[in-house]
Amino acid sequence: MIKPVSIRAASAISAQDSFRRNELSEPIRTPSGNRFTYLEPNYSDYFTIMQLRRMSRITRLGLVTAIECLRDAGDFQPQAIITGTGKGSLQDTEKFMHAIREFAEGTLNPSPFIQSTYNSLNGLIGLHHQVNSYNSTYVHSGFSLEHALLDAVLQLNDNSIQTALVGSFEEMTPEHYIIKDKLDFWKKESSEPNAVMNRSLGAVSGEGTAFFFLDRQQDAACLQLVDLRLLFEPEEGHVISVLESLLSEHQLSWNQLDVYISGRNQDIRYEHYYEEVEQHLPASTHQLQFKHVSGEFDTAAGFGLWAAVKMAEKKQLFPALLRKKGNAESIRYMLLYNQYYGQHHSLYLLQLPLI
Amino acid sequence: MPSVFITGMGIVSALGIGTASQKEKLAAGVSGLGAASFLNSIHKTEFPFGEVPYSTEELFNQLSAKNQLQKSRLQALGALALEECMAGLKEKPAGIRQGLINATTVGGMTDIEDRYFKLIEPAHLEQDMSWASGLDCATGTEHLARQFQLTDFLTTISTACSSSANAIQLGARLLSQGMLDRVVCGGVDSLTRFTVNGFNSLKNLDRSVCRPFDAHRNGLNLGEGAAYLMLESEKSLEKTGNRPLAKLSGYANFNEAFHPTAPSPEGLGAYEAMKRTLDKAGLQPSDISYINAHGTATLNNDESESLAIRRLFGEAVPPFASTKAYTGHTLAASGAIEAVFSILSLRFQEVYPALNFETPIEATGLVPFQQYQSMALKHILSNSFGFGGNNASLLFSSYD
Repeated sequence: MIKPVSIRAASAISAQDSFRRNELSEPIRTPSGNRFTYLEPNYSDYFTIMQLRRMSRITRLGLVTAIECLRDAGDFQPQAIITGTGKGSLQDTEKFMHAIREFAEGTLNPSPFIQSTYNSLNGLIGLHHQVNSYNSTYVHSGFSLEHALLDAVLQLNDNSIQTALVGSFEEMTPEHYIIKDKLDFWKKESSEPNAVMNRSLGAVSGEGTAFFFLDRQQDAACLQLVDLRLLFEPEEGHVISVLESLLSEHQLSWNQLDVYISGRNQDIRYEHYYEEVEQHLPASTHQLQFKHVSGEFDTAAGFGLWAAVKMAEKKQLFPALLRKKGNAESIRYMLLYNQYYGQHHSLYLLQLPLI
Repeated sequence: MPSVFITGMGIVSALGIGTASQKEKLAAGVSGLGAASFLNSIHKTEFPFGEVPYSTEELFNQLSAKNQLQKSRLQALGALALEECMAGLKEKPAGIRQGLINATTVGGMTDIEDRYFKLIEPAHLEQDMSWASGLDCATGTEHLARQFQLTDFLTTISTACSSSANAIQLGARLLSQGMLDRVVCGGVDSLTRFTVNGFNSLKNLDRSVCRPFDAHRNGLNLGEGAAYLMLESEKSLEKTGNRPLAKLSGYANFNEAFHPTAPSPEGLGAYEAMKRTLDKAGLQPSDISYINAHGTATLNNDESESLAIRRLFGEAVPPFASTKAYTGHTLAASGAIEAVFSILSLRFQEVYPALNFETPIEATGLVPFQQYQSMALKHILSNSFGFGGNNASLLFSSYD
């Protein structure tokens, strides 16, 4: 059990128009083939051509998202920078592997090697704003963002820091799509409209970057991260029992969950986890989902958390995410439940503080 | 800080499998560096490497339990170190929550890189494709965690050369705040063509054995290995009855935000990491008995680390040395490997000789300790600095 912290700012670049106005703008973009890909911002607003030439795709995306998050928070000196990524810069990793083969281990350009290092973005954010601080990077698949958040919260809770910038970044490449296809990650490609919502084996691939500014002051923002529970390969029924103990530890009941945001991706192998939770939700709970607009990736929960922060700020739900409307009139507690291929389960308990 | 105890440790490096083998070679001043045999690279005889002197199959043959593991050099190295780490401990009592915090720079790259170009051909399918998951850093950690029942919490950290030092720090935080009772922390990296070519492209591999802190040093040698420490809280000790080997009494992580790959010339990050570690432990520089330096033997690191040591300790620099000349730079594993070396020194009250040193760096005149010697040791500071300006220090103290 942790002590609540505030989320003072959030920004996200995704397959949707989420970045320009920092909200989920309509119309919703659809995937191309079986993949949601980034709607990339205009980088020339941020960097010179020389700077851009040195940066790879995910580095640009991550750095721009972090810059905007810090700007929104009005604080460019967070006391920790902690990131999470399942795969880091895939493009650089692949580029360097190809170069090793093509030039038979001869003289190689070191840039892709440097940027393939998982903590290179983290270092660049620090460099960009001259932040001397705690700094770490988690690379544990569907837990990467959650472990970054947990590390920050532990340090906020024990008062060793007052603020933290926490973020996640992920890209998908054609080569890596093939690899994950062989591991049965994806749905069969389909040309019919709304195929992303079909119940079938696998998910639709996605990518996304999200950054959050955390503050130790509990009343510093519109949304608090009250608690976070992580379960690895849980046994039957374990998600529900952990969720029930989470609620009771905070003197809450199911009836008080006004908003539920799920990581549903219509993968028939793992939908039952979400269904079990939903069976406990009362009619008052508004049920939302987001993978139909973000696609699936290791740190997709970051998109869901970003949406939660934005909806809390506006005190309004994003219609595009609504799966089942409830009758709760106000929003106080939110539950974000995400699982990654049945292995990594994350429960975020969120609260809009009473002001 | 609340007390964090180390009750178990295990290690594999170029010095062999197990702590006994490390201690024997360190005390005798015998390096593990040499031409590589198992690394699949045209550079394998061009540079010295700290390769673990067994094939992957030979490594697997030495494991007593391996049913949860994939056929992977990374996992074999990790499992051998974990087996030793857990071996001396009493059986896990009921109700103890235990986890694994692993660290790696490139995950299962060694196991994948030879087959990668087949893997990305859409038509190439094998009966069992599960090995393809090895590129994800989490994969090795999860197989190891399942094998050793460390699944109540598991994660993987990747902050380049400071990765496992950061793993130990997260473990200490999780124990201090009662999230876990005990946690195994450490790291593993196996030699890969990918990383060898990466460091070669940065032109910081020495063609001879590396010379930490020597004025004529000319780069690092890469190594491989794994090491893990069992960290326990006071509450856990009451239940397990394990006897501590040492205490973790301080730690710090500091990003100096200077350059993507190079340290600041004056060693700001190194200084702050060491200084904050002492502050956390409530100790003065004069309390430090010995420094296990990062000392990679690159031009940049050793000079900036020397300056930072000078700035913090002034004229009273305690005995120090780098063990990179024994093991090579084992990247994500190095923080944990050198934690094991530090604890060996504390346990046996002895220090091991620095190798390949002749001439001090002009700016500081620092001379590493070059003899094997018995010595009264109470607090050992261990440094791990990495790409991205990431600097981490750990402080180990003897347990009486």
